[in-house]
Amino acid sequence: MTRPAAPPTLVPASVLRLSREGGVAHFPGLARPRRIHCARYSEAQRGELQRLLATAARACPVEAGADRRLLHLSLEDDRGAEVWTLTIAEEAVPPALLDWWRHAESEG
Amino acid sequence: MIESTSPRIRTFLPPYLLERIAGGSDPRLRECARHTLQADHGFRARAGAARLAPDSLRRGEPARYIHSAEGRQELPGRRVRSEGEGDSGDPAVDEAYHGLGATYRLFWEAFQRHSLDDRGLALVATVHYGQDYENAFWDGSQMVFGDGDGELFNRFTIALDIIAHELTHGVIQHEAALTYAHQAGALNESLSDVFGSLVKQHARGQRAGEADWLIGAGLFTERVAGRALRSMAEPGTAYDDPVLGRDPQPGHMDDFVETQEDNGGVHINSGIPNRAFQLAATSLGGPAWEGVGRVWYDTLVDRRLAKDSDFGAFAELTRDNAAGRFGASSREAEAVREAWRSVGVLP
Repeated sequence: MTRPAAPPTLVPASVLRLSREGGVAHFPGLARPRRIHCARYSEAQRGELQRLLATAARACPVEAGADRRLLHLSLEDDRGAEVWTLTIAEEAVPPALLDWWRHAESEG
Repeated sequence: MIESTSPRIRTFLPPYLLERIAGGSDPRLRECARHTLQADHGFRARAGAARLAPDSLRRGEPARYIHSAEGRQELPGRRVRSEGEGDSGDPAVDEAYHGLGATYRLFWEAFQRHSLDDRGLALVATVHYGQDYENAFWDGSQMVFGDGDGELFNRFTIALDIIAHELTHGVIQHEAALTYAHQAGALNESLSDVFGSLVKQHARGQRAGEADWLIGAGLFTERVAGRALRSMAEPGTAYDDPVLGRDPQPGHMDDFVETQEDNGGVHINSGIPNRAFQLAATSLGGPAWEGVGRVWYDTLVDRRLAKDSDFGAFAELTRDNAAGRFGASSREAEAVREAWRSVGVLP
């Protein structure tokens, strides 16, 4: 097993992409990636998001089964380069991070 | 899809190794190993519960146990209905109970299979999982059903074929154990749809030409522009909704979707083998579980079906099984061959 790296420190230029995939069917509208532009949030909010990402990174691997729902996270730097990714089972996602996903801007 | 972690820790690591990891120096692996050990203990606890509510000892009779998570995300939850008990008055509980029964009956009456493992394994389901939870899944040992959010989705027990779909994942796990990614995963999904649809047709006494060939009809609320989750007859036409998007399923290899989403498109490309089954079944007519359904079941339990099978390998096995059961020049063998040609899997 390889251990996913801890998320890099969030800076105002960071962009977090989140997509919620899987389940008993694939719905393109629901799976569409959403974005969180860190520049739009206060330092305290970025700190909270940082803490949630770190918690998610410590979550456990997806277990056996079928039709489970997953959350895919990827962090982009100021040039749009992907610098960190993580995929975890929805049950292991901190509920507050799912709230961030609900309120994140869809990529349309 | 899970590049950075092993998705099979619980399945392949023996407890002694997990315990070593749990005592190791890597904090995350330590935590995960502890979680896995707890999950295994939970599984054993469930196995203990199953011992209290044992497997079926009589071939031809199911052993069903329905639990309620009471809005929490804990499994299996409180047991609310056991085999032989009358209706509870809770629609989700009773739909799950009867859905498990209908699934058991199809596999028993059509294929003489005694539950998921053909040895009478107890059928365990949990309803009322989570808050507004809009999904149903197979967790490797039981079925789990959410109540839906009421906005887009109704409760997931409302559709008999979805209950049967989840149970069929359990049958597959005990047979070919098709890897849940890419073409093998799409076959896993397709087989679950095929037998899900057959359970619905069997329960309704329908012939192939009378079936709607929809998966999950009734799951959407009135707000959704759609008929069902999937259409086996016309993949890609089940819904087209501003929120959910448009049904992405192809019905032919020319439109095969290469993607990393959805475990490599397991719920997307399953439209191709789904359509092959529907074409073969409707060309033969009659009850679908008797002709082409029998061929698909023979293939599901065929030891030659590898975990990483692709569509072509599966199609060849169905051809071989059709010829073996019904004869090389039989209507069934010809229908199967022509169906796979029609969807572009065989030349």
